[in-house]
Amino acid sequence: MGDTKQLDFSHLAGLYVWAAEQYGDMPAFGYRVDAKKWQPLTFAGLAERGRHLATGLIDLGLVERGHLGLFSDNRVEWILSDCATHFAGAANVPRGSDVTDKELAFILVHAGIRLAIVEDVTMEQRVHEIASEKELSVYTIVMEGEPKAKASCSMSAVEERGKRLLADGDQAVAQRMERLKPEHLFTLIYTSGTTGRPKGVMLTHANMVSQIRNIPLHLTWRDRVLSLLPVWHIYERVFEMITIHAGACTYYSNPRLLARDLLAVEPSFMGSAPRLWETLHDRILKNVAHSHPVRRGLFHIAHWLSRHYHRSLFYLKGYDYRTHPPVAWKRNLGCVWYGLCWFLLLPWYGFFNVAVLERIRQVAGGSMKATISGGGALPEHIDRFFNNMGITVLEGYGLTETSPVLAVRTLTHRVIGTVGPLIPETEIRIVDVDSGDILYPDAKDENAGRMRKGEIQVRGPQVMKGYYRDSTMTGMVLSEDGWFRTGDLGLINGNDCLKVLGRSKETIVLSSGENVEPGPIESLLRQSPLIDNCMVVGQDERHLGVLVVPAEDADETDPKPDTTISDEQLEAEVRQLISGENGFRPYERIRVLRKLPEPFEVGKEITNLFKLRRHVIEEKYRDLIDEMFNTQRK
Amino acid sequence: MEIERELLSVVHQALLAIMILIIMFGMGASLTLKEFRLVLERPRGVLIGFLSQFGLMPLLAFGLAKLLDLPPALAVAIVLIGCLPGGSTSNMFAYFARGSVALSISMTAASTLMALFMMPLLLNFYAGGFAEQVAASAAAGGKDTTFVIPYLNIIYSLLLVLIPVGAGMILKKISPGWAKAAEDTASFMGIIVILFLMGAVIIRHGGLFLRTPATIYLASIGIGASGFLFGYGMSTLFRLPPRYSRTISLETGIQNGPIALAVILLSFTGPYLNQMLWLAILYSAFIVMTSSFITLFYRRIGTYDWEVYRNECVHRRLFGDDYVAPIPVQDAERHAE
Repeated sequence: MGDTKQLDFSHLAGLYVWAAEQYGDMPAFGYRVDAKKWQPLTFAGLAERGRHLATGLIDLGLVERGHLGLFSDNRVEWILSDCATHFAGAANVPRGSDVTDKELAFILVHAGIRLAIVEDVTMEQRVHEIASEKELSVYTIVMEGEPKAKASCSMSAVEERGKRLLADGDQAVAQRMERLKPEHLFTLIYTSGTTGRPKGVMLTHANMVSQIRNIPLHLTWRDRVLSLLPVWHIYERVFEMITIHAGACTYYSNPRLLARDLLAVEPSFMGSAPRLWETLHDRILKNVAHSHPVRRGLFHIAHWLSRHYHRSLFYLKGYDYRTHPPVAWKRNLGCVWYGLCWFLLLPWYGFFNVAVLERIRQVAGGSMKATISGGGALPEHIDRFFNNMGITVLEGYGLTETSPVLAVRTLTHRVIGTVGPLIPETEIRIVDVDSGDILYPDAKDENAGRMRKGEIQVRGPQVMKGYYRDSTMTGMVLSEDGWFRTGDLGLINGNDCLKVLGRSKETIVLSSGENVEPGPIESLLRQSPLIDNCMVVGQDERHLGVLVVPAEDADETDPKPDTTISDEQLEAEVRQLISGENGFRPYERIRVLRKLPEPFEVGKEITNLFKLRRHVIEEKYRDLIDEMFNTQRK
Repeated sequence: MEIERELLSVVHQALLAIMILIIMFGMGASLTLKEFRLVLERPRGVLIGFLSQFGLMPLLAFGLAKLLDLPPALAVAIVLIGCLPGGSTSNMFAYFARGSVALSISMTAASTLMALFMMPLLLNFYAGGFAEQVAASAAAGGKDTTFVIPYLNIIYSLLLVLIPVGAGMILKKISPGWAKAAEDTASFMGIIVILFLMGAVIIRHGGLFLRTPATIYLASIGIGASGFLFGYGMSTLFRLPPRYSRTISLETGIQNGPIALAVILLSFTGPYLNQMLWLAILYSAFIVMTSSFITLFYRRIGTYDWEVYRNECVHRRLFGDDYVAPIPVQDAERHAE
């Protein structure tokens, strides 16, 4: 693969040192000091201060390969702390200010944190309160403000101390960096679990270095990267590392100041989430609706032209969504047709692109070359809208467990509706959820197993070492030969790009963000004499709904669902069973119900172990489910 | 090439006049007095631009007329095109060619004002000879028409064209929202007017495209193309930064087509009017294509210096006016040039 980069380091401490040598006094990070003024931190300055801080941390008792708590939102001290962690040969355990007390307590105990860098006094107090409650001894280092607790000091004091020690010839950092290995952990990230406790994802230097090497993103020192998403999340963090490697400057922003910072920084790249594009999409359409009638008219012409122009262009470049590899003659015919369309549209599109769309693009700063959207599915119409407007939104896919990028659309592989091809060094297989058969790759199939839907499993250098102190969970997702079960459903399409279709795990996520386990609800409902079988649905909806197979009619010889059971009877039954008295939370109550005309069949809707094949049922009754929630909405 | 009928009917001429009015009004709506003041703040760029627009371009036009041995009336027309001020379309192209929009606007503003006395002056200098030839051949042919360049009429028509520009500027002051709409409408009208003229000519004189000799096509394409080339060369010789060179190049090659049409329609008469008009229409049509290509080319070759420049701008904006970031070792050579 031509997209792999040659790197001169094998761990992240090496990256910071290499970047300092390579880029020296160029700005590495820009951060706000007041409303209009920003301050740069250079690559050399970052490494130097990182070395001071690391020496100070070691002096405070940070042990080699120990776990350093890092509880802060995006700010320049964060990256300094990260740099210092690696220089001290340790791993950090990061979380932002939105961490709940329960999670924080779990993390402090589970990761065995003795030393933590915290953003401010509020976080300091939270950590100490939990520590005293759990009888832990935790020493905190505060980034901003005067520390209040006894076992606490300011970050500048630690840097000062480290600087003096270094001047006196302290060799601790040099020795630890010498002993640092690629297979050592660089971070331990606790994912907020939907059910049960958080899991500590162990990521190694080798994991992250492989991402820098393989993510097909070609930034240069002339790029400007806006940091917006939470930096403790691996997704934002990987872009910060790539940006350091490229010698470009990262500018710390936050969602509140985004609109202003986009104009001030004119970023050429940023990591983004679907939410941002939905917001910008709404803002653009609102602006258009409120603009002068002439301009509104021009916008609609421009939008129409750009849509058709891009459809032709994408076809010619081979970015059209395919289910099979193309047949030569059909493809050639298509090329002639779209080539003609492209040629006819070009001058018109060119003009409107200049006169109208360029102004639309200014909402993103005007210099954006590309952005990668991740962390959730980007609605296809939003995706298309921005790509037609000339803002290259690329969608990527990955999990914390895979450091995180597995697949991403690239500038030369922009198939909308997919998350692009796999990145180099990464293997994929699509596995049948029930039988465990490998559906893709399949040499026997004429389409090589493409377009078959199943669980996405991957293997590659970015896959985590495992969950920290949780071999049972690790064993469930990570096979001995290195395959990781993502728990997501997907398929490989005719462009050899990955399309993600949803979760294969049972958890239903409501639009409010509440996670519901359907299992307990269903098993209780099945105990009812009126109900033969049922399935709870409601992914991305506001409430839960249920599909019910009524109990069999005992009088018939050929068992069929009893037609005499009315909807009202069933609704009353469900309401009574799934109630607060039976221990269900308000969002777990079922609001809508539909009777199914026929029972579930073994081998079709249910497995031979009588487990529901949820995606099969969902597909079969798609219209019924949609109708059920649509009526509810009205 | 004889054009026996009027090239444009009275109705067409009236429509054209309205379109020109809209375009010039929109051009005014994109300008403020500040742009004229800003000229003084970047005198070097504007001065070299001025030399290029009013020094180089008429000379190129004259040279082209001689080289292609154009009929005298057409020679007058090509020199006239060479002496025109810049139009507001060049601002848009400058933006996309990663040039300096500010310089482009300053040059447009300055040259439009300067044209009032530069155009008659330059026409007299370069086209005087051609005009005498026209008159002489007309006399020899026994016709009683005379051909003189109507300098006063040209000044009047320029002033007339400047009235909507002034009105546009006033609108910008009163209502920026409407001004923006006027600007957009004008830029759209710029394309429409060319299509309209081509359409009108095809309907009235279907065979004219075929009867037009190659030299006229060459002249109408060549005048813009050579303006781009020599404009770029000259500003590079003066060691202007690449993005200024790109701007001046486009500003030199792209002339204000609507002014050419207005001046020709208002100042000349008789059979020569048709020939001159035809050349101006051809120029307006071809310049859109050539400048699109050159813009794409500039955009590509300008990527590097543009990125460096934008980075410097953002650094100065955020980190303070005196902030200078060093260039990495691997690129130092490129910057030493």
